Amino acid sequence: MRWRTSFLAYLLLAPLLIWLAVTIAVPVGYLVYLSFTDMGIFGTSATFSGLENFKDVLRSERFWQAGRNTLVWIVGNGLAQVTLAFAVARLLYRRSALTNFLQVWIILPWVVPGVAAVIIWRWMLSSIGIVNFGLEATRLVDSPVSFFAKPSIAMATTIAINSWRWFPLLAVILLAALRNIPSELREAAMVDGATENQTWWYIVLPLLRPVLYVLGLLGTLWSANIFDVIWLLTKGGPSGGTTTLPVYLYEEAFARFSLGTSAAGSVVMAVFVLGFVMLFLRYGWGRELGGRR
Amino acid sequence: MGNRINFVLVVLLLGGFALAQVDVRLWHMEQPPHRVDRVQELIDAFNAANPDIEVVQEVQNWGDVIPKALSAVRARVQPDILFAIPDFTLTMKATGAVQPVTELANNLHQQHGFLDAAIDPYSYQDEVWAVPLYGMVQSLWYRKDVLAEAGIEPPTTWEELLAAAEALTTEDRYGIGIPGSKSLYADQVIYNFMITAGAKTIFNDDGSIRFDTPETVRAFQYYHDLFQFSPPDSVSWIWGDAEAAFASGRVPMIIQFTTITTFDQQTEDLPANLGVVPIPAPAELGERGNIYYSNGAMVLTGDPAKKAAAEKFLAYLLEPDNYGRFLNMEPALFLPVTADGQEAESFWNDPLVVEYEDQVRTMVDNSAYGALFGFTTGQVFDGIGPISAQNLLSQVVQRVLVDGDSPEDAVTWGQAQMEAATR
Repeated sequence: MRWRTSFLAYLLLAPLLIWLAVTIAVPVGYLVYLSFTDMGIFGTSATFSGLENFKDVLRSERFWQAGRNTLVWIVGNGLAQVTLAFAVARLLYRRSALTNFLQVWIILPWVVPGVAAVIIWRWMLSSIGIVNFGLEATRLVDSPVSFFAKPSIAMATTIAINSWRWFPLLAVILLAALRNIPSELREAAMVDGATENQTWWYIVLPLLRPVLYVLGLLGTLWSANIFDVIWLLTKGGPSGGTTTLPVYLYEEAFARFSLGTSAAGSVVMAVFVLGFVMLFLRYGWGRELGGRR
Repeated sequence: MGNRINFVLVVLLLGGFALAQVDVRLWHMEQPPHRVDRVQELIDAFNAANPDIEVVQEVQNWGDVIPKALSAVRARVQPDILFAIPDFTLTMKATGAVQPVTELANNLHQQHGFLDAAIDPYSYQDEVWAVPLYGMVQSLWYRKDVLAEAGIEPPTTWEELLAAAEALTTEDRYGIGIPGSKSLYADQVIYNFMITAGAKTIFNDDGSIRFDTPETVRAFQYYHDLFQFSPPDSVSWIWGDAEAAFASGRVPMIIQFTTITTFDQQTEDLPANLGVVPIPAPAELGERGNIYYSNGAMVLTGDPAKKAAAEKFLAYLLEPDNYGRFLNMEPALFLPVTADGQEAESFWNDPLVVEYEDQVRTMVDNSAYGALFGFTTGQVFDGIGPISAQNLLSQVVQRVLVDGDSPEDAVTWGQAQMEAATR
């Protein structure tokens, strides 16, 4: 009877599992196949080229520059988003009519489509935009700031815009986690003489760690794969200063028309990301959740 | 009984009609709603006049049309007609999906007379690969009152342009707006100066690259000098940014395809205050020239019935009565690519074109001096696809303006990149 129940369960699950396997395995398999071919323009004929694409990628200065930019991008976004999200979650933690109102509207940047958000930011940050108007009106600057003129400034600006878009989601998740922490724990610490900041640092933050680890893992994966915001804002420029790995891979495939190299670069990037996930799970997640080290 | 027979006949007729109808899917990248509406008006009129054909437009985005079109070809769901520019045609041709339209182009040429600058970029390997539909040409746009106030005549030479940009630069204003971004816009603007410097050809006859020349270096040096008088944020400009800066009065000169619509809608100025002249050239060379894009339509279907229907629709668009309405989906931007189109009443009677007729006539006149990088020698080499798609010209601009490379070093770098792209 039990065997029959299990069989029936697997039978009912089978279509979905097969569908998932096909929709994941086929594209990934095709990508790996492409990485061993010399396909140029997508859809044209290709021949087996062995490890040539991988050699090209690993010897490419552009790939490593994109890798370094990706690291800056991930770390910058991580720091900016977690800091902003934590600050906002803390502000909204106390319930009031105002915070109830704000916790709904805070999610707005995340709801706005990426393309629209980027266009609006481009306008606002242009030399005739409202940001420069405000800076000049308050005499903080003498002439308009060029937010995309230098590689480092362009990267910082792009990170800021992307963080503006994503931090509300993190804030809402953190707020939900905060509200799940029993208030007795904080109250007990206060009774024992802990200050507000000490309570947050020694009681609340450790209890939030599981959520922060999950956000750290998912946030890193999301950030690593972001393409649209960067492409629409800077196209990877100026001078490659904001070319992250997704932008590099896109350019290889659809600007340099070297699909095989792009596929090889994707495989290399996937290996790096997988390595990060394994390290994270082993030394971060596992330890935090009491898993096997 | 009689009613039943009638009913069966009607069903058979309708069924036969449905079977006989040819569907034609059209992809274009003219996204603004008013352009989509105008194309739909023309499609509706065509469909009504041709009950056996059903043309349907599907609007795409220039930003991602290359991967989308390549994927569509791969999945065998490509459109029957796909709008294009010359280097995009070359990329699509590599997939084997682009059908030659030589016979149609020859017939249309006999009827309407294509401009050389419009048809040449699509003519190679003894075939024509797209039907030219509309042209776009860059010119130097300026505010007449600002120049008059400074006692400056509209510049006709590089020297005059540089002097004007310097003289017009004040605390609140930059003398000129030119892009320094990695973009198609910056590719186009620098190419204007390459043309006028005598460096319009980037391929030798054997397909090798001839980018690293003294003429090219001179053009990039000049661009560097001129950029001193352009807003610092123009290093990230795309087309709309230049027009916005011009309309706001922050820059009194820009190089652009058009700025008529923005000027008309966003300023209080009268049309007479908007000036336009050909791109200035070095005084001693005096080579008039400017970048010119001929936008065309590729036919991607091998099905004879669909191909015939697609060709019929393209021929319909170029009929003078329809052509002006087609071009004026964006008045004073899209220019006729045919001789009779340049005279067509349907083109000249648009209210905006009437109001800015002098400026539009200058644009039409400039069309005759147009050139496009990679398509200047009558021979077309595959390498222009990746050179254009990578924005290599504007990447060289960025090396000069952002990285501080000398024009010589930057152009040498550009030569190496182009050689790599053509391998």
